Amino acid sequence: MSGGDKKELQKVTPLTVDEIEIEILPTIYAIIRSVEKDPIDKQRESQECSVKVLELQKRLDNVRNQIRQLPIDLNKEEQLQRLETLRNQLLLKQKLLKKYKNIQF
Amino acid sequence: MTFHLSTKERLLAIVDDIEIIAKELIENTIAPKHQKISSTEHAQLVELLVAKDAELKSVLQLACDQTKIEQKMNSLRAQVELQDQEINQLQKQLKEAEQVLSTALFQARQKLASIARANKKPVPSEELIKYAHRISASHAISAPLTWQQGDLRRPYPTDIEMRLGFLGKSDLSINGHNLQHHSSLSEMHRNTTGEVPASAQNQFAWHPSGELHMNVLASGGSILLDTRGRKNTSQVEVEVMSTESSSSSSSDSQ
Repeated sequence: MSGGDKKELQKVTPLTVDEIEIEILPTIYAIIRSVEKDPIDKQRESQECSVKVLELQKRLDNVRNQIRQLPIDLNKEEQLQRLETLRNQLLLKQKLLKKYKNIQF
Repeated sequence: MTFHLSTKERLLAIVDDIEIIAKELIENTIAPKHQKISSTEHAQLVELLVAKDAELKSVLQLACDQTKIEQKMNSLRAQVELQDQEINQLQKQLKEAEQVLSTALFQARQKLASIARANKKPVPSEELIKYAHRISASHAISAPLTWQQGDLRRPYPTDIEMRLGFLGKSDLSINGHNLQHHSSLSEMHRNTTGEVPASAQNQFAWHPSGELHMNVLASGGSILLDTRGRKNTSQVEVEVMSTESSSSSSSDSQ
């Protein structure tokens, strides 16, 4: 994924996209390969296969969990709208304060 | 296609799709020969898998952008929080100021009202001082300087003095006796606002009686202040008392 500095927020959980393991394809490829090749040792091969399948499952679950922790509950437009609203709010409040703070009686 | 789903939901959906496709492929690989899907379908599945993976990566990039935006929003929120606190503080100060000002206004109005009332009926200070002298002449305010234990005089108007006063005499003769009183006198009776002294021992309030008495004297009435055998000394003692009473009255005056 794209590199670059992304500061982590207070939580320890990976809120940066960098840390999400999204390389699922290699695992799938490895499983298929190991199934397709002629089994020399059938038992070992089936053990390895099941291990790899489990690994695939685990990776998928990890990805899902990590996605859930990202702060992306909205799609981009909504988020940008919220950002605008926040900015306006900040501006309004700053204006209000400026107006009343320096009144000389 | 416009997605109204959140980015999170999109990502999760893509991940689910990838899982399903992967399962299909693996099952196909394991399946016995007669159940295998055609190679074209197989190829299509594989292509689909690859496409899904690419989609996943692109949406993740979107997620990355959104994370950055979220960080900006957090910092904005912190700033807004600061502003909120300052606004609250300002509000508190304004409220306090308003309270102080309204109290001051109220008190000022009261003062103005009392000034107006006082201006309607001005009383010359000379008259007040004379009055003070007279009411203290009979030692009804404080004991004389030469007072000793066992002296029968009291620092308040005694029973006899009250009965000898105007109120006592008018009470005895309700129907007939024409005492010298002017209409202005009775008016002044009604207008007096007196404090009831703590040491009033008879049924008359001292203050009205004393004032009545004084007014009688001021208007040249015939009723003299009759304190037991002190008619002569009272004249002398008025001078002595005057300094004393003036000090007390000046301390009382506001």
